Parts: sequence; C-alpha cells; structure tokens
Amino acid sequence: MKFALIGNPSVGKSLIFNQLTGLGVEVSNYPGTTVELQHGNTCFQRDIIELVDLPGVYSLEGDSVEETLVRQFLERQEIDAVIVVMNVTRLERNLYLLLQVAEYGLPMVVVLNMIDEAAKQGLEIDPGPLHDLLGVEVIQTAAAQGKNIDQIIPAALVARNPSTVEIPYDHHIEAAIRSLGKVFDVDRNESVRALQGFGDTQELLEAAQTVSDEIESRHRMTVAQIIAANRHNFAREIADLTVKKTVTFRETDLDSILTRAIPGIPILIGILLGMLFFVFITGSFLEEIIVELFEIFALQPFIALGLPPLVEVLGTSLIIALQAGLGIAFPFVFLFYIIISILEDSGYMTRAAFLADNAMHRVGMHGGAVIPLTLAFGCNVPAIMSIRLLRSRRERIIASFLVTMVPCSARTVIIAGIVASFVGIAAAFSVYAIVFVLILATGLVLSRVTPGEQFGMIMEMVPLRRPDPKLVMKKAWMRLSEFLFIAMPLLLVGSVVLGLLEFFGVMGIFETLVEPYTMAFLGLPGYSATALIFGILRKEMAFETLAILAGTANLGAVLSSLQLYIFAVVSVLFVPCLATITVLLREVGSRITLAVTAYTVALGLLIGGLIHYLLS
Amino acid sequence: MLPSTCEDYLEAVLTVTENGGQPAAPEEIAAALGTGREIDETVVTSLVADGYLERAAGDTVRLTEKGSEIAAQVARKHRVLQCFLTETLGVDEDTASEEACRLEHGISDETIDRLSSYIDGAQSPSRHTRCCQVRERRCCNPDAACTLLDCKEGDTVLVAMIQRPGRNKRLLDLGIFPGETIQIRRKLPNLSVVVRVKGCDIAISPEIARSILVESCP
Repeated sequence: MKFALIGNPSVGKSLIFNQLTGLGVEVSNYPGTTVELQHGNTCFQRDIIELVDLPGVYSLEGDSVEETLVRQFLERQEIDAVIVVMNVTRLERNLYLLLQVAEYGLPMVVVLNMIDEAAKQGLEIDPGPLHDLLGVEVIQTAAAQGKNIDQIIPAALVARNPSTVEIPYDHHIEAAIRSLGKVFDVDRNESVRALQGFGDTQELLEAAQTVSDEIESRHRMTVAQIIAANRHNFAREIADLTVKKTVTFRETDLDSILTRAIPGIPILIGILLGMLFFVFITGSFLEEIIVELFEIFALQPFIALGLPPLVEVLGTSLIIALQAGLGIAFPFVFLFYIIISILEDSGYMTRAAFLADNAMHRVGMHGGAVIPLTLAFGCNVPAIMSIRLLRSRRERIIASFLVTMVPCSARTVIIAGIVASFVGIAAAFSVYAIVFVLILATGLVLSRVTPGEQFGMIMEMVPLRRPDPKLVMKKAWMRLSEFLFIAMPLLLVGSVVLGLLEFFGVMGIFETLVEPYTMAFLGLPGYSATALIFGILRKEMAFETLAILAGTANLGAVLSSLQLYIFAVVSVLFVPCLATITVLLREVGSRITLAVTAYTVALGLLIGGLIHYLLS
Repeated sequence: MLPSTCEDYLEAVLTVTENGGQPAAPEEIAAALGTGREIDETVVTSLVADGYLERAAGDTVRLTEKGSEIAAQVARKHRVLQCFLTETLGVDEDTASEEACRLEHGISDETIDRLSSYIDGAQSPSRHTRCCQVRERRCCNPDAACTLLDCKEGDTVLVAMIQRPGRNKRLLDLGIFPGETIQIRRKLPNLSVVVRVKGCDIAISPEIARSILVESCP
C-alpha cells in the first residue's frame, strides 16, 4: 500500500509524516521546506505501508517546481490513497487545495490538523458537513501533541472511494465541460484541467484553448480566474458550515510591533546582529575548549607514542582535521542552527522577509531572499538549496552569488581564529564590514546586469507560534548532521592528502614556485597559497593548514598582523568550498557555478592585493 | 432634464473654459460644438435665464456652479461612451465621438457608472471621484485606476481586477481574485503591503500590489 500526504505549507504535514514514519524530515515554519518527495515506511498490523510526503503547495495549477512535482505525482495515480492535511484554523484557504485534489479522483482521507490551535482561538469544528459533502473520512488531529495521529493509517487503508464532491462552476465553464466531455469522451475532471491547459491529448487541449479564449473574452477574466473564484467561493461555503466561531478571542497582535517599519526594522537588525555576535563570541569560547581538549587528550599523547614518521603524519593530520571539524561543528554550526530554527519555527522569518523586501529589491531579489542569506551564515550549502523559493532564474543567479559570499561558520572560525586572536577584535569586525560592503556592491551591480525578469514577493505570513524546543533541537541536529556526514569526510580526506603531500615534499616545490607571486602581490609567504587552495575543500582548513604549514599554532610569531589580516580577507572571499560548489552545480548549472567561483577568486585576490598595496 | 441642445452647449462652454479659464466667446463655443453651425443666441439666453450660464465681458459667457455640474456630468458620459465605443467595440474614433454626443443625453447615471466600471474593471465612480477623474481623462488606461497601493492601512477593499494574471497566479491560489474582499493589514513606507484574506496574512511586494486593482467595499 502506498499513501501520499498533501497539504498547504505549514499545516503540520511533515510533522505528521515524522510521527508516522519516525524519519527525520525537516519541519519549518516557512513555505517551501520540502521540495523533494520524502519517502518513508510505516508498519500497520504487520503490513508495510509506504508513505510519501509531498511538498507543501497552495494549488496544483501553478508553474513552480513544487506545484509541478505534486501535479505530476498525482497524475501518475500510483498511490492507493491521498491524505489531505489541513490547518483547521485556515480551513477556507486549505479547502481550495482539497477541492483541486478531489478532482484527481483518488481515494481520499481528510485530516483536520491543529484542532488544539482552533480551540485556543475559540473555533468550534463540526466535521459532519465536510464528511457529507466530500463523502470521505474526516479525522481531527493535533499533530503537535500527537493526538489522533494513529487513526490516519487505518482510515487510509479502508478508503476506497474518491470524493464525490462536484464543484459548481460558472455556467459557461459547465457548458464547456459538457461539450468537451461529449466530443472527446473525457470526464469532468479531465475537462476542467484541459480548460486550464493541463493534459496530454493535443486535440483536447486545442479545443479547450478555443473554448477558454471565448469564455475569457466574454467574462473579461481568465478561465483560471473564474475557476479559482468558483472554487474559493465553494470552499467558503463549506468552511462556513464546518467552522463556527464561538468566542472572539483577543488577537495577540505581536505583528503590530514586528511588521511596522519602526520598530520592526530596528528589531530585525538587532536580531540578526545579536545572533551573529552571540554565535561569534560564544562559539569562539567553546571552540577554544574543544581545541584545547584535543590538544591535551589526543594530539600530545599521539605524538608521545613515537610512531614511524609516515604513520605519525597520517595520524596527526586526522586528529587535526577532527579537531578543526568538531571545533566548528558544535560551537558555531550547531549554535547558529539552534537560533535559526527558533526564528523559523516561530514564524519570524516571514516577517523578516516582508521587512527586507524593499532592501532586497535594491539588490535584484525579493524579500524571500532573506531566508537563504541568513541561512548562509551557518553554512552555505543549505542556503543555496533554499534559493529555490525565489521564482525567477535571474533572482536565483543573484542569490547564488551573494549567498556564497556570506561568511559562513567556517569563515567565522577563520576570522575569529586568525584576526580576532592575533590582530584584534576591531579588525575582525572590519573583515565583516568589508565582506558586507562587497556583498551589497555585488548585488547592486548584478541587479543591473543580470538578464531576465523579476517577480515580486507573494508570501504567506505564517502565524507566530511558540517554537517547540524538541523540534528546534531536532532540526538543528539534523542540519548539523548534514555538516558532520557530508563535510567531515571531505575534511578528513583533505587533511590526509595534505599531510602526505607535505611529507613527500610536493608542497615544498609548489610553494617555491608560487612564493614570488604571492609575496609580490599579497605579501604572503608561499605556504599561505597552499592553505588557501586547501580552503577549497573546507574553508576552516585554511586556518588549520596555515597552522600546520607555519609549523606553529601561534601564527602571530611567524606572520605580521597585516599578513594575517590579508590572509583572512582573501580566504573569506576566496572560492566557495567544495560542498558549496557541488550544490551550486545542481541548483544553477555549471556556467553560473563557474562564474561564481571565478568571481570570488578574482575578488579575493583583488581585495587582498589592494589591502597589501595600500597598507604596506 | 435639459434638452440635448442645452446640454451640448454647456459641454461646449466647459471645453472652452477648461483650457484657458477665460470666458467663452460665441465663435469658440461654435468651434467646440464642431457642427459647423452658428450658435443659437436664444439657447444661450435661456441658459443664462435658468442660471446655468452667466454673462461675462463682451458677449462671452461662463458656467455657473449649477451649469458646471451639468456640463461635467455630460462630459463624463461622453468620455465613457466614447471610450466604450472605441476601445471595447472597436468603432472608429470620429464615429464614436459623434455617436457618443447623441447617446450621452439619453443614458442614465447608473448605466454610465456600470459601463465605466466594466470598461476597466476599476471602482465605481461615485465612490472615489479622484481616481475616476484620473482614469477617465486617460481613457481606458487601467494603470490609472485605484490599486492596492492607493489604499491605507486598515482599509477593507474589493478586488476588481488583477493585471498580468499569468505572472501572479499565486495570488489566485492564496484567495486574492476579482470579487474577493481583502483587508490591508500593513503598509510600509516603502509600499510593501500585508493583506488579510481568508484569515491569512499575505505579504506582497509593491510591484505586485500595483497590479491589483481595487474598489472600496459596499
């Protein structure tokens, strides 16, 4: 048996999926969290049941990635039943999607989720009319408490019949449905889809196009608009029958503070800066402890063993890589994602997007771009993956440039480890300032030169809710584990390769070759070039490599403050790491990936050279 | 109700005086009437007697307050009809103008209001006079209608039309479609807006809000 979960974004669909399958699906309180299909299995009375979590959509008729994916999935009709999850506090809007799903003629179960929220808002739910109108099972659940979740699978197993509901369309549409049905021998649902340009029979689509043109000229509204209006109106009728507002609750109007220009924008800036400061300071402190522990309990005992040189090099490289990786993972990445998860789950990110909409327009994107740009401070990889929520290729190209320039946790480590410890805290913040100015300038230029059109933002502001600590930790942990399992192996391999190259003297040759250039241009010794190149594998390795190659962790003893500063600036701007390049390739293609890489290299060298030229 | 000739005269005086603000001379009125005939002094005299026109220097006349009201109404009917005839029915401009001249006298205010709303899907004229004046002057240019951006925070409005529906499909999915009532929850100084529709708050960029034409709710 195979069932699919479908619903609007932020209705608790992924949470239900999690509870049914026990898998770790990311749950966010902003639209567009699940873009790919999530598969999972669950057991019921010793039968294996396959569950598919479809991405959250508002409609099946749009042209976004998620909507196309869901539409094609339903068209294949491979599932035994579809489970429609609805947020009962926003029933009318959710019913719009349900009515569309009903037209696909699959056996259906309706889940009215968030009944706990509804009770808090003084809404009284009567599932009777919904059940009668749709002719399918209706279950009331509260996924946050796990209430009634166990009824879903049994109901889906016995669901045999598709919904019997027929949406009353405008009489012109009804006439068109009838005539298309007669001429082409297709059913009502197929006719409705053909009128909107969906289907695979060429003749049917052509005929439907002619009819819809005629309807359009009579109504001065597109067929899609008429059909949507009919569905919305029908959804309202059903919603009015189902939901009764018994008490008018006092509206918690935090939004009157959060979404006004004043004090909303200062609050937004305060939250973002506060978050960065907090992670920077707490992270540096925790990282020192971890590095110290490794030093005392792993590195020193290992060296004291007095193993053969080759083994010693390999072992030390591994320990250093682990030390660097864990030193970043827990203090920086984990801490950052805990805060981000709190912001996401509380619904604040959509407010941030609204407030930043205008600013983002200046750099050629819309408010939604705030989400990838903020995520990028943790790690660029999930940030690049989230640029899909921008609708046009133009916006995605601009975002991919800007996101890769945002200083991620690994780069924070470089800034904290090199600049803050050896040059000074003010210098460390000046690196951030340089990067932010460059991001802004890049955005301003790209918004003028990037071809393509720009779509504005149409984004649902999800209700503010108190984040569940368990979910927050789970999500932060999941993102961290991506870092641990995708990035750490690269880090270990890179570290060993570097150790071996060093051991066999390859690095020495390379360094003598590049030293004249790096000295002349950046004022840096040759081994710093090696460190920069290894920074491609993982950014934070640039710091570790530099320490290994310099032969001491006390970098201040071998390099001048200016040299350290230049090294930090160049490596922060320099090429995105290998993991980022991989995701960029997948999301925006090879040409843009190449352009981003070339641009960041050029920018890093240029700015580094400029500082060297001006200050030495 | 005035005879059609009288309405024509008032309209002509309005056309002349609107341009320069100076009182209208008989030849100017004749030119504005555009039928090649001499003006009928008896009509002018009766209009003056009824308080629609007043004599100014020489044999020039100008509109009284009562006269301007009538003239403006007629002129508006003329514009709407001409607009409808040319833009919607495709009648050529000269014929349209001539026929509008004849039709303008027989058409009721309500029909004109509805016709006007029909033409560009914008709001009914009696409610938002300012917007409509702007709109009709530009004749059939829907850009000049009231958009979501012309509304204030807290306004409740009816969506009249959405331009470029193909690009803005998500609005439909979220329940913003012609005929739906929406409330403006927040409008930032930089014109980003939040509207409440079907109990949900939707944040919208200025360029999209501009393509949503609205009328105030009954």
